[in-house]
Formats: sequence, C-alpha cells, structure tokens
Amino acid sequence: MSQQEKFNKFVERYPHPHVTFFNRPHFTRRRFFEVVGAGVVGSYLVGKVSGADDVSTQPGAATQNKAKNCIFILLAGAPSHVDTFDLKVLNGVTPSNFTPTMVNGINWPMGLLPKIGGALGDICLVRSMHAWALVHSLAQTWSQIGRNPAAALGNIAPNIGSVVAIEKNVAGQVFPPFLALNSPTAVGNGYFPAQYAPFKIIPSTAGIPNTGNPLGAQRLDDLWSRIHELDDPLRTASPYGQPLQDYDAFYNSAKSLIDYSKNKVNQAFGYSPTDSARYGNTSFGNACLIAKQVLAADQGTRFIQITLGGWDMHQDIYGQQNPRGNNLYTMGKPLDDGVSALLSDLKSSGLLDQTLVVMVGEFGRTVGPVTAAGGRDHYLQQTAVFAGAGVHGGRAIGSTTSNGSDTVDFGWSRQRYVKPEDIEATIYSAMGIDWTTIRKDDPFHRGFEYVPFSEQDIYGPINELWG
Amino acid sequence: MKDRRLRVGENMVTKRSIALLLGISGLTLIGVLASDDDASGLGPALPVEHAECTFFGPNHDNIVKAASRGFVGGQPASPMAQNSTATMLTEAVVAALPPVPPGTRTGSLIDPATTNTIDRYIFQAMATANVSAAPPTTDYEFIRRVTLDLTGRIPTASQVTSFVADTAPDKRSKYIEGLLASSQWVDKWTNYFGDFFQNNSRNTQIVRFPDGVVGFNSYIRNSLTSGKPYDQIAREMITAAGSNSYTQGELNYLVGGVVTGGPVQDIWDQQMANIATTFLGLSNLNCLECHNGRGHLDSLNLWGAQTTRMQAWGMASFLSHTPSPGRTPVTQGNNNIYYWSVTDNLRAADYFLNTLTGNRPARQPVGKVTNVAPTYMFGGQSPAPGSNYRAALAQDITADFQFARAAVNYMWAQFFGLGIVDPPDQFDPARLDPSNPPEIPWPADPSQPWPLQPSNPQLLNALAQDFVNSKFDLKALMREIANSKTYQLSSRYNGTWDPSWESLFARKMVRRLWSEEIHDAITQSSGIVPTYNMGAVYGSVSWAMQLPEPLSTPDGANGAINNFLNAFLRGNRDDQIRHQDGSISQALDLLNDNFVMNRVQLAKAPRSGLLATAAAMPNDQAVNALFLNVLSRYPTNAEMSAAMGHLGNTATRNQELENLMWSLYNKVDFIFNY
Repeated sequence: MSQQEKFNKFVERYPHPHVTFFNRPHFTRRRFFEVVGAGVVGSYLVGKVSGADDVSTQPGAATQNKAKNCIFILLAGAPSHVDTFDLKVLNGVTPSNFTPTMVNGINWPMGLLPKIGGALGDICLVRSMHAWALVHSLAQTWSQIGRNPAAALGNIAPNIGSVVAIEKNVAGQVFPPFLALNSPTAVGNGYFPAQYAPFKIIPSTAGIPNTGNPLGAQRLDDLWSRIHELDDPLRTASPYGQPLQDYDAFYNSAKSLIDYSKNKVNQAFGYSPTDSARYGNTSFGNACLIAKQVLAADQGTRFIQITLGGWDMHQDIYGQQNPRGNNLYTMGKPLDDGVSALLSDLKSSGLLDQTLVVMVGEFGRTVGPVTAAGGRDHYLQQTAVFAGAGVHGGRAIGSTTSNGSDTVDFGWSRQRYVKPEDIEATIYSAMGIDWTTIRKDDPFHRGFEYVPFSEQDIYGPINELWG
Repeated sequence: MKDRRLRVGENMVTKRSIALLLGISGLTLIGVLASDDDASGLGPALPVEHAECTFFGPNHDNIVKAASRGFVGGQPASPMAQNSTATMLTEAVVAALPPVPPGTRTGSLIDPATTNTIDRYIFQAMATANVSAAPPTTDYEFIRRVTLDLTGRIPTASQVTSFVADTAPDKRSKYIEGLLASSQWVDKWTNYFGDFFQNNSRNTQIVRFPDGVVGFNSYIRNSLTSGKPYDQIAREMITAAGSNSYTQGELNYLVGGVVTGGPVQDIWDQQMANIATTFLGLSNLNCLECHNGRGHLDSLNLWGAQTTRMQAWGMASFLSHTPSPGRTPVTQGNNNIYYWSVTDNLRAADYFLNTLTGNRPARQPVGKVTNVAPTYMFGGQSPAPGSNYRAALAQDITADFQFARAAVNYMWAQFFGLGIVDPPDQFDPARLDPSNPPEIPWPADPSQPWPLQPSNPQLLNALAQDFVNSKFDLKALMREIANSKTYQLSSRYNGTWDPSWESLFARKMVRRLWSEEIHDAITQSSGIVPTYNMGAVYGSVSWAMQLPEPLSTPDGANGAINNFLNAFLRGNRDDQIRHQDGSISQALDLLNDNFVMNRVQLAKAPRSGLLATAAAMPNDQAVNALFLNVLSRYPTNAEMSAAMGHLGNTATRNQELENLMWSLYNKVDFIFNY
C-alpha cells in the first residue's frame, strides 16, 4: 500500500479532529451583529503561559532552526496554480503574452510574473500540495491554524503566528511579536494570552496612528503614573473576585511603542513614496515594504502575515472580456512587484538567510480549458512557495500531471500530498520550534498539539526544502 | 478518547462531502464583482468572493469565545472550562472597581422571586442549584449600567446625584421609564437593529447606496419611535413590495439577501436563510439549503440533523414568487447608481429544481418532484396556489411561538451577554420543550440523551409568552428585563465564583462599551460636542450612535474619528462583526488621539465644558465633578487624597487637573459596563 493510501486510511479511521467537541457552535457568515455582551476572547487578559512542565514533545524531532523570522503571505481567494507557480501551457488557452520560459527546469510565466521569475534562484516551489476543503473561509482558516477549524481544539486554536509569538517572544521588546498587515480578518490568538494576538495594521504612509502625544513624552509619562496610581491599589486590595495581574497588556505594549518614539516607530511602520514605488505602489507592496522595515528594525516582531486577496477568478481569468474585472494581470502585477522587491531587499540587507518566506493560497483552481464564464473554479491541487532561511532555491519539489490536475511525484520523504499541517510543521521547524510540542495549558485540558497527531508522526516538516 | 461513536457527524471533509460541496459534476461556481460606482464617491468596488456556505471565516473569533465559556449547551462544563473568559474578564474589571462605601443605597433582594417572570424562574434555578446570587447593584452601578444598556449613554453627573439622593421606593422603575421614553433610546436601538438587519450601503454582494441606507435607517427609526410591534416590523419586512428602496426603507431587508453570480434560487435561499436567522434564530437553515443535515449537523443540532434539503427548499419556496429584485437607474443612462425594487409574480412556477451552477450545489429533480411547493417547516402549512406566498410566510412565522422565543432570546443575550439559548442563532427546535425532552443519545456523551438546549427552558417559554401577550412590544420586553432583580444584580460577587454558574445568571457579566458608546461618553462627559458633516444624504450628526451605518465620518477639526471608532471594532455589518476585543490601537487612541486630547486640555476649551468648569471650582469639588461626569461615581477616599495631593501645587494645578481627567478616560471602569 502506498504512503498516500496509508495516509488516507489513517484519516478515515481518525477523522480530523479525532474527538468531537459537544455542541460546537456553527456560525454562518451572515451573523453580523454583536449579540453577546461579554465574553471577550481573553483579549484584555494576560493569562498564564505554560512553563516547561506543561509541555510535552516527541523524542527525535530535529528542527531546522535556521530562521529568526517568518513572513507568511496568504493569497486569499486561491490563485490558479496552472497559470502561476505550476504553469501548464495549453494551446488556445494560455495567453501567449505569458511568455512561458524554462528557468532551471521550472516552466515560468515570464510575461505575467517577470520579476519573481528573475528571483527563482531563491525560490523553492512545492507542487505536490492538496487542500482539505474547497470552501474559502474554511480553507483559509485551516491554512492559518494548520488544522481543521471544525476540530475540538480547532475552535480555540491560535494562528500559526501566535504560536511563533508565544515561543519566540522576549519580554521587553518594543514591537509586538506577531504583525498582520492587510489582514483584518486574520485568525487571532485563540486561547493564547493577549500579547500573542496579531497586531493588525493597514499600511499607511504615516505609520501607526497615535504613537506619540501632542503634549510630549514627559507629559505622557506623568499620565502613565497617574493611571497606575489610581488603578493599582484598587486591584491589589480588591475584596471582589481574584485580582488578576495586569489586565492591560495592550496598554503596556502601547507604552512600549510610545517610549520607542513616534519617529522610530513610524520609520518602521510608515514609508516614503519612493520606497512605495519600488514595491509597486500598491497596498500589498506597501505591506511587503513595511514587513521588511519591521524585521530590519529588529524590535521583537518575528512573524508577519500579509494577505493579498482577489484571486477567486471564477470568470474572465485572463482579462479578455469587457468590462474587465479582477484577473491574473491585475493581481499578478502587484504580486510580482511586491514579492520581488521584498526578496531583493531582504537579501541585500542580509535578512533573507534568517527569514522564512512562505506564500500559499487556500486551494488551487481547475485545470485545462477555462469554464463557460472564462474562469477557473475551486480545486484541491495547489502549489506552495518557499524562500529564505537557507531554503535551497531554483527548483521545485514534487510534480503534477501534464495539465496540473493531480500530483504524480510527491517529491518528499512522506510520499503523500503535502497538507497545510505540513506547512505549519515546516514553519515551526525552520524557526527552531519543536513541532511535536503539546501544551497542557488549554482551557479544556485536552492538550493543544502544535501540529495535529504529532504523537503518531502523521505530519512533519518538508526537510527537502533544505536538502 | 478516539471513540468511534463520536465520528458521526464529524466535520471532516471527505471526498463525499467535497462532492456535495461541488454538487453534480460540471458545477461551475461563478463569482461576480459588485458593481463599480466611483460616481457615488464610495470608491471602486473591491474584489469580492462569491457567497458560499461559510462554516468558518471572519466569525472564527466568536467561535473561540463561545468555546471558552464556563458551560456548554446549557450544561455546566465544569471542570472542563475552568477558565471561562467571561468570568475572567468580569473578575478583572470588578477588581479595578472601588469597594462600596458603607451606607450606599442598593437595590432590594427582598422576595426576589415575586418581582416578575424572570426573577421567578432565575431565583428558583439558583435555589435548586444551591448557588447564591450576587449582591444587588448599588444605585451608582445601576444608573450607569441601565443608562448605557437602554440608551447607549452614560448618565450625567446631576442625573447620578439626584438619583442616588432620591428616596422613593419606585425610583428605579421610574428611571427606566424615562430612559425608554427618551430620544436616545431610539438612537441606540435604531443602531442595534441596523446591525441586526445588516443595513449598510455596500457589502460583498450588493450596493444600497447612501440613500438606501438612509431609507432603511429611517424605516427602523420611525418604527421604533411609533412603538410599532415587533411582529408587524417582521411582517412588513418579509412582505415588502415596492419600486424604490430609497423611499420605502423596508425593501432593503430582502435586498440584503441578493447574491450575485448564480440563479435566482440562490437569492431565495439566502433571503430565507436571513429570515430564519433573524426571526427564528435558526441559522442552520443556511446549511440545509446546500445539503441534508445528516452527515453534517449530527453532533451540532438534533433538529438539523434530521432535516433535509428538500424541507429547506420548502421554506425557500415561499420566496419563489418574488423575482430577483430589480434595479432602476436614478439617472437615465447611468447604470452605476440605482435603487432597488421588490415585486411578486403570483403566477410564477414554484421553486424550480433546475440549477447546475451558482453559489450552491446543483438542484435537480428528486423523484417526480421538479418544483417544490412552499411548506412551513414547523406546522406543515402550505399557502393556496395563487395566493401571496410572502404574506403566508410572514403569518406563519409571526404566529410561530419560536418567533417570540428567538426575539426574547436575542434581547436577553444583548442585556446579559449570554443567551438562554446560546449562541442565539443556533436554536435547536428539537430540544426546547421541557415537557418533551429528547431521548436520542447525545454524540458528545452517548450514555445520556441530548440535553435540553435552553439553560432555563421554563424561563425562555414564559418570557416568550409575556412578549406575545404584550403584542410584541419591544419596550415592554426591555421594561421587564431592566426591572428584574436578576438584571439588577451586581457584577461583584461575594465568595468564590464558579464559571459554570454563568448560565444561572447569578451575577452580571461585564461587557465592553460599543465604539459609539465610548465616543459619546467622552463627548457627553467633556461637554465638547462635535459636528460631523457627512454630506447631503447622510446629513450631520453629533453623536456616533446616530450614524446611519458604520462609515467614515469626515471630522474636520477633531482628527480622524473614523480610526477611533474602528479601533473599538464596530464592524461593517457584513463580514466584520462588531467585536469587544481589545487592541494596542485602542490603548494608543485613548492615550493620544486628538479626539481625547482636545477634551482634556484647558487651552483647547478654556471657557466651557467639564474641564473649564472644574478648573473654576475648589480642588475637592473639581475632583468630584470629574469623577461624577466621567465615571458616574464619587472618588474613593484614596482616590481623592491622591488627586488632592497632586492638585496642591498651584503652579501645576491646572496641568494636574488635566492629567486627572485624562487618566479617568483610560481607566478600566470607563470603557466597561459593569
């Protein structure tokens, strides 16, 4: 029986998740009013962080430990793999201006993504990936938490970035460990304490608003001590309930930013028109630029998520109809400009070697001729893109059929489809985090696995990236 | 742990369920962009995703919240969830409150069960569980809480002092009457129902334009002002027919169900899903319009697990004589700005099973059934052919006891932070009747049957019956809630609190104020009232609670108020729901934003407003004035002496007064309702 067949059998026996959690709430997109008065998700609270006694790991898990940082680019809407990272030229379908070009054995749409094409030496494509589901929200959440969102602990699972944050956070750092740019609906910190939540920012040339007070830093320090003078005695002397430690995790983080100085904060979080132009003068480009600046500032941010949405091209994917909507050209250019400038700047500043760059959509798109609407629909087969942190670039791992419909060569040791859980394990391994860790501090006392089924070694890092 | 029996209904996406998602082979899901209408000034349309069954997405955080409660499905989850976030947050906020000075007047807990329906059932349940209630609220706690909950404002300083000084035994109920009669009540609940009915000018599927938003907003406002019964509102919105969504505001509700890129059945499905969620608390109908409940809802919803897609179509069929809403350009020749019309065609064929593409799996004939006639799921009624289907649906729904249950439960959840059925859109009709409990094994614990869903089924039914008897009077419902001793319990608790008691409502849980409430509290307390001019259509407002939708408010002198409001997560009535989460941005804004800074500096308002008035007072009176206006209470002895210490130096006195006011806006008890 092949490895994939064994995996399929495992998954049938142990549906993900392996335990039902009673009465899981089922929310639809259309429940948009705030109904519940209380129950803020731990966001105002600083909770207990597991000590060494509260985690377990599996022996023999050897991490790559090459990356200090990670940039995770979510291509929301799901890009067509056969038109981008796993190009399949079909006569009469693929536009000729895609200019397919062989680069080191990689067939690349140079006409569509020329600049990334020039950087392929740093990029490793993983072409043997399959998504679990073809529903946008489900699959996007799955990609960000590295497990089934309908799982028992999928309910409260933190974003991969929050796991990195809790592992890599150093007290006293100025910037939050997890930054989310252009990602207002990014998955949050789950059950983890507030300081591991994504710091959600929409790029602005002025940077982060309100990191300085018009009355100056000294006055702000006076205010800070006045607030604590009023609040602290109450909390320690309270006869009601248990006085928790500082509830104002956000105030402390805010103060760090303020103390660091508005100018220095906005050097990292703001940008000049010239720099923005280098990155393509788009919101996505600006996010890539800020990511680079924040990492260069080296003030504690370790994981940066950037979302580029708009890839859900069910109609007119090649932009040939009138009026034109979103198509591969309108989305390809910002991607090409932004990612290439990011890789180039990271490289020239010496940061690329310590930064793992991951770029992936939530699934792929249908192959062959386009649909009657001129587009491509949802499809499980997809490609993931890796660069940096010592990843051996200029090649592809795994390969697909002639039209991209399925994987023919898995390309890695587990000899089965690469899944979002494996991508998660890869990120942790790259950053020196033991992906087999199970934390005992979850509120349901079930044990939170960084990567599901680590005790059975079902998922793991794609070590071939460094091979 | 890996119990096979628990596999039933697992949400693993198997090949089979993928096939269901895709439907019959050849399905094409078509996505279409919202129309481009730069001329409206709303900017170019953003790339959007098509509608689909969204199990998880932007609401993921809410799922996290619900999953970390102190109980689950009406049953105490202790010791499973020892660390309920609602409890932890309440304790954290309460720990920052000053102790109650001796002699402070409080509400009464004498004969608690005799007050009203709510107290009879709640105190009975507490007694059965042998759980003590929290103490009653002090007058200070009560007036601030009820003013915020009913009107979205904090009380003024003189309202606080005169209320506290009043010795009349019925002062609380009189004060509640005053709030219910106020124009601020209309403001707040217009805003609430705007959220609930999702009134926005542009969402991921359709555009209503500012005129449509204003039309819908006016309809809601007028309905509330005139005391229109809630069943009439429901009926009007379900049956609305007319040619102009700008002038006939209620048309906009069904317009909100329009989805693009698919056949008209997709629209009927979405409209019905919205109706079921809003008026019956049954969001699972949305799932059932794609697939049978079995294999998907088995461990989530007993009713849903036994319900079929055909039955869901039978509900959506009530919309099948309502063609896709039409669009009429405002100016001939410019198709980019339009208003909507909703009409009926009583002779149309019933819900046709003839789709292969679109936003939901294929709909194909089942046996001999090619068209599905409307059948109301919870009574089996079918309208006569040729009659007005939507009128029949509206009648069936408003006559259904579930309509009343859902309504009172949503309102309960708004006031208490937790529904009697929670989440409030997750009703399970098979598990509501205490005299007829289910007997089917519960997948989570097959040694037991499915538990009853409401945490207090008798209370839910009694409250719903009261609502019916009042002829669906919203103010009567709020009056009943606000006057109950249950609502008037403190958020403080004497003794050790167990999170599993949250479902007993033995203590009031805190909530963070809405963006609009925080903004308006700063405005009112400081006495410096802004004017936001939003153009000819939206007009101008001074209070954030009066905004017709969460939108950008050009603010002129006061800086980027839009960022301030968004930082507190008011949502967009579409894919970003209103949240109570905290963030670094909120802290930065309360510390540094011009909206706050312009109100805590004498230089900015030397002659009027709270700070100027306080500055002219002796120090101790000034401190009292600041606390009473901002926090609706007097300072404690410790707070007073700390403040007086700083104010003692005349050289820096005014600066220290500014510091004090500024720090009050940054205190825990300012942004929370306890």
